[in-house]
Amino acid sequence: MGKPEVRLDEMTRDEALQYLNETMNPEEGAIPAYILSDPTIYKLEHEKIFMKTWVLLGHVSEIPNKNDYMLRDLAGYSVIVSHGQDGEIRAFYNMCTHRGMKLCRADHGNKANFTCPYHGFNFKNNGDLIGVPLQNDIYGGRLDTSKMGLNKVTIDTYRGLIFGTWNDNPQPLDDFLSDFKWYLDIGLGRTEMEVVGPPQKFIVHSNWKIGSDNFVSDSYHTMVTHGSIAQLGMVPSATYSKKGYQVHTDNGHGCLIGMPNPDFPFPEELKDEYKANLTPEQFDLISNMKNLIGTLFPNLSILVSHTKVKGQLVSNTTMRLWKPVGPDKMEVMTWFLVEKNASEDWKYRSREAYILTFSPSGIFEQDDTEVFTDITQAASGTMPFAKQLTYNYTMGMHREPVTDFPGPGVAYGDKFSEANSRNYYRYWLNLMNS
Amino acid sequence: MSMEMMLATYEFQQWLYREAKLLDDIDFDGWFALMHPEIMYSMPVRVNKEGIERPDYATDMFAFHDDHHLLSLRVERLKSDYAWAEIPPSRTRRSVNNVRVEEYAPGEKAVVKSYLLLYRSRSTDIHHDIVSGERTDEFVYVDGEWKLKKRFFVIDQTTINTRNLAIFV
Repeated sequence: MGKPEVRLDEMTRDEALQYLNETMNPEEGAIPAYILSDPTIYKLEHEKIFMKTWVLLGHVSEIPNKNDYMLRDLAGYSVIVSHGQDGEIRAFYNMCTHRGMKLCRADHGNKANFTCPYHGFNFKNNGDLIGVPLQNDIYGGRLDTSKMGLNKVTIDTYRGLIFGTWNDNPQPLDDFLSDFKWYLDIGLGRTEMEVVGPPQKFIVHSNWKIGSDNFVSDSYHTMVTHGSIAQLGMVPSATYSKKGYQVHTDNGHGCLIGMPNPDFPFPEELKDEYKANLTPEQFDLISNMKNLIGTLFPNLSILVSHTKVKGQLVSNTTMRLWKPVGPDKMEVMTWFLVEKNASEDWKYRSREAYILTFSPSGIFEQDDTEVFTDITQAASGTMPFAKQLTYNYTMGMHREPVTDFPGPGVAYGDKFSEANSRNYYRYWLNLMNS
Repeated sequence: MSMEMMLATYEFQQWLYREAKLLDDIDFDGWFALMHPEIMYSMPVRVNKEGIERPDYATDMFAFHDDHHLLSLRVERLKSDYAWAEIPPSRTRRSVNNVRVEEYAPGEKAVVKSYLLLYRSRSTDIHHDIVSGERTDEFVYVDGEWKLKKRFFVIDQTTINTRNLAIFV
């Protein structure tokens, strides 16, 4: 491929895509730096990925009661997710269908109707327009309110996770999750899980893909970036993150399973629940699992972490969205989930471990964000594009998948590999070309 | 205001200024020595409410919720060779103001509220971060010194505009 004469934003869309295809080769582990910073790539991602795939909105336990609602965004567009009086969960674009004002500004609450602050149009939480001030007088009875319901967002759920999409004709959620469901079951469906408190949100001057990529394949960085955790004695050794499996499935999803573990990482008294919710193979796996780290394409990462806090082992379960805010900026949104039927002591200790390790102040979390920020800075500007700076994602290419792993997908018997990232970027490139 | 309260206000202002100076000078051991063994160091998640209902922060989720042991882990970590989030350390400047002594039992205990404006600059990054909020602090008098027994920091942003909280508030 030739050196670029012009920047991507000066090319036509076809030229830009052609250039992307020429410079990026996930199969061979060649990922160009500019995809982490270029505004044209960012725009294309928005259209081809975030407007098309399923993206997480939240968890059903966040709105357990009738008329509960939460404000979220889907690909950057404000969305009300409501639990209707009929028990159904729905989502709507947060915009009055009259003149476009946002109907809702609170993060969370309980309301049967939403009233627009501009002219008082009133919508039921099933989306119906049910009230227009002075309607008969000012519209002469000609306003067809049945055609002015809120704009509905297509949603579907799996194991309590609520996903939304702007795609009018989406791939069924079940197909999109495909084999990765097996791992979501372990991470978030092994028993009834509930979100505790509101999600935490913070801004990092990083391209969003660095977070997704880090969680999809990168156990290797744990030794160095998180070296302080081993020094503090919270995990056994700096190389503890190597042993286990790296697994990926269709559609870019992938995870890392740390094994073996001499200790059961979950509340003992819930063993029967796990057995009831999981297959025997899945139960065997969690019985011997240290941790689970993974990314569901495009930007949902899940994590079950097992650390020693105050001399006691405890696991904590979190999920996070790496939400694009700009080519070099993302909002990280993290949720803490806990086994609903665990003891109060377990819940307290698990939350304590989350706050200490993976909240915005978390001693794991904070070192990652430092790295993400500097990678983004180094990828930005004309030079990395013009010089065709390219990352090396070839780790583990010499390895063959193992055949005795019980779960679906392609599994490798060592966590130190970039196979999952190659799979993630392969799917990313497919969608960019779609 | 009574002379006693004026003196108490001055005393706690000076305490908070000294604390700010220790943190800004990255003297974490010096800072940690100000903590009472029963310290509870908390920062709840701030949320957007519909109207004026309060509190407008979570009562069950926190960015910090540390006792003495957990806080000591953070301090030890910052002194390790791998605390990348603060290598090199952020340049910080903590302005503490609007100090109000809410409760005061001389030589015994006190509750003090103050505003914090924290400026953070990292490395060569031209961005700077501002963390703003209100502290509610409880002090206990031990062996001739006021020790911090409780800090409750309510931040003014619901989406925090700094890359992490590898710094103390």
